[in-house]
Amino acid sequence: MGKRPMSYKKENILIVNFFKQSWLVMTAALVFGLLLAVVHGALNEKIEEQARQKIALKMAALFGEGAQTEMIMNDKGEAAQPLTAMVDSTQVSRFYKVMDSEGSLQGYACIAEDSGYADKIKMLIAVDPSMESMLGYAVLKSNETPGFGDKIMKEPFLGQFNNCPIDQKLIVEKTGETEKKDHVIVAITGATVSSEAVTNIVNKAIKAIRENVKPKK
Amino acid sequence: MSEETAAHTTAGSEASGLFIRGLWEDNAIFRQLLGMCPTLAVTGALQPALTMGLATTFVLLCSNMVVSSMRSLLVGHLRILMFTLTIATFVTIADLILQAFVPTMSETLGPYVPLIIVNCLIIGRAEACASRKPLISSISDALGMGIGFTAGLCVLGIVREILADGALWGIPVMPDAFVNWNVMKLPAGAFLTLGILLGISNHFFRKK
Repeated sequence: MGKRPMSYKKENILIVNFFKQSWLVMTAALVFGLLLAVVHGALNEKIEEQARQKIALKMAALFGEGAQTEMIMNDKGEAAQPLTAMVDSTQVSRFYKVMDSEGSLQGYACIAEDSGYADKIKMLIAVDPSMESMLGYAVLKSNETPGFGDKIMKEPFLGQFNNCPIDQKLIVEKTGETEKKDHVIVAITGATVSSEAVTNIVNKAIKAIRENVKPKK
Repeated sequence: MSEETAAHTTAGSEASGLFIRGLWEDNAIFRQLLGMCPTLAVTGALQPALTMGLATTFVLLCSNMVVSSMRSLLVGHLRILMFTLTIATFVTIADLILQAFVPTMSETLGPYVPLIIVNCLIIGRAEACASRKPLISSISDALGMGIGFTAGLCVLGIVREILADGALWGIPVMPDAFVNWNVMKLPAGAFLTLGILLGISNHFFRKK
């Protein structure tokens, strides 16, 4: 370029040079973009189906086999979107009403997400129809330390939330009886942060359910 | 990296030579120390290690094929951009495939699937091999390097899973009296295992 005589066609030469060098990148970007669109289009349904199946599996574990779930929508008529809520930093992305196979109400559930120790923890939290006790929780996504924090997905920690009363806020203590069903949650040894994170998400989720869903007596 | 195979070899023997080199002589993990991020991060058990290895092999194969096919069109200073673009595309595809067909593995691997984009093994092979050699050689190079990398990950995964969980592929293999070495699940266990395996492989290479 430097050796070319400066002429009135300088701009044209620049533009031609630009296309000469970059046509491959532009073409490739276009082709790859199309390729990605096609793959995404082909697999998207399958990916969403997998997510639905996973939630259905966890729902069955919490409410029993044959539980019918119904997503609670916001009241915007035609353009109704799934109801969401934000309690402090806890994000609640879905609320569900759960019935058994005969249609009688089994309880409510929501999907809540907040910070854990290593990464965000995403959980499914279930409460009974009267909202007086909790049915339990299931972890949908977490990346807690293997061998310590990942015990949030296992007994005995998990069991403390099954049928525990939620008339007051759940609190975490380092020692105590894990068998006793009360508002005191005994932390996992070596994973206090994970234990507190789970309890915090549960508390916020219960608050969100109480504020957004009307209990049926 | 060692010199490429001498020019007098025919295309066929060059291809098979590249394949064998990737498996052992130039093994990505034990000889070249490339792709250390997945090597340390996802080898806590055999299953994620194998999944990561296969995903990387898929991306490596596709990127080598594309780069080799367009090697005469590559412009010097834009080639890295082209490599990255190609690799990123196939990593996204691999990520979508994992999400659709093995969702549990996709969750276990988490951010390490998108991180295949920055795996030096793949961009290294694009630069050192695919952008210079014909399609057949590039394919066999990708397969050799990919399988070598997968095997390396699996060896780490097997050692760590047996010691950390007393299991292999989720099936208990150790006697009941075996006490799990929790440290092997943690990053420290990854460094220990890799260090010892590297020492062993160096020992064998020095003997020759």
